Amino acid sequence: MSPYLIPVVALIISATPGLKGAETVWSGLVIAENVAQPQPIPPELTRIEGSLKKFFGYNQFQVIGQSQKTLKTGQEDWLATSKFFGLHVDARGETEAGYVLNLKLYKEKELLLETDTKLSKRSPLVIKGPQVGSGQLLLVLVVQ
Amino acid sequence: MKTFEEKWTAWLDGQLSGRELAEFEASLPDKAAAEAEKTGARKLRQLLKDELGVRALKNEEFFSHQLRERVAQQRDEATRTSAGRRMESSTWWTIPRLLWTGTVSIAVFLVCTVLVMHDKSPSEESQYLTQILNARVDPIVSPNATVSIFEVKQDRVTVLWTEGLQSLPADYAAK
Repeated sequence: MSPYLIPVVALIISATPGLKGAETVWSGLVIAENVAQPQPIPPELTRIEGSLKKFFGYNQFQVIGQSQKTLKTGQEDWLATSKFFGLHVDARGETEAGYVLNLKLYKEKELLLETDTKLSKRSPLVIKGPQVGSGQLLLVLVVQ
Repeated sequence: MKTFEEKWTAWLDGQLSGRELAEFEASLPDKAAAEAEKTGARKLRQLLKDELGVRALKNEEFFSHQLRERVAQQRDEATRTSAGRRMESSTWWTIPRLLWTGTVSIAVFLVCTVLVMHDKSPSEESQYLTQILNARVDPIVSPNATVSIFEVKQDRVTVLWTEGLQSLPADYAAK
């Protein structure tokens, strides 16, 4: 009987969302620009390439800082930095839909922007930051 | 006119009577030997009668045996047919298999239900979009800044749109 039981239990476990394993959040600082010969979009942004281009009107997106964090407790915090910017992400719990995050964008040591979000596991977040030269700073968070 | 042999046979069988019997017995050359032969013939007849009776009984028994065999054969055929029907009707659907099939069906149903609810429930789509709970811009650094929230449902992207943040030189795009 037990050989029949194993696949049934496996099916039920695999279908139960509450029992899923830890997930990874990718957070990136992205400079969006319009250039004559755009570089290929980074793989982390591929799934939202259309929305980025349509929404912001740029043809090139380059990552200037990034971080990948695997969340186990949903209480972790981490930092994605470039030379001048820093994005501090503080996870404050996990819900069925995703993670509750506090985000702070720093320019060097100066706080530019703070927001609290419920980051969905299936819905990326894009934050329009300040204008940088001819481009635009974007903050992107994706649950992978 | 009967021949001697016919009269002899009739005499042995006791079928002669009256004058015919007297005449025949008078014509016998040795009546004592004829009487002995008649007695022997009677015994033989009795023996044959007995034997025929036994044979008739054997035939009955044989017939009865045949009948019993036929009945048994028909009973076997009937048993085999009904067993075959039972085998056909219960070849695969034994009770344990029915139980397992039911269990697996329920499990598959649960999996499909969870997947469908997880993937395609439009009424609950909003809870699967990232939500901006609040946003603040430093009023000293960027006094005229405003924030707006957009949702691109096609790609399930949530956008926090800021306006009026202080612009920075291109050097700040460095990695």
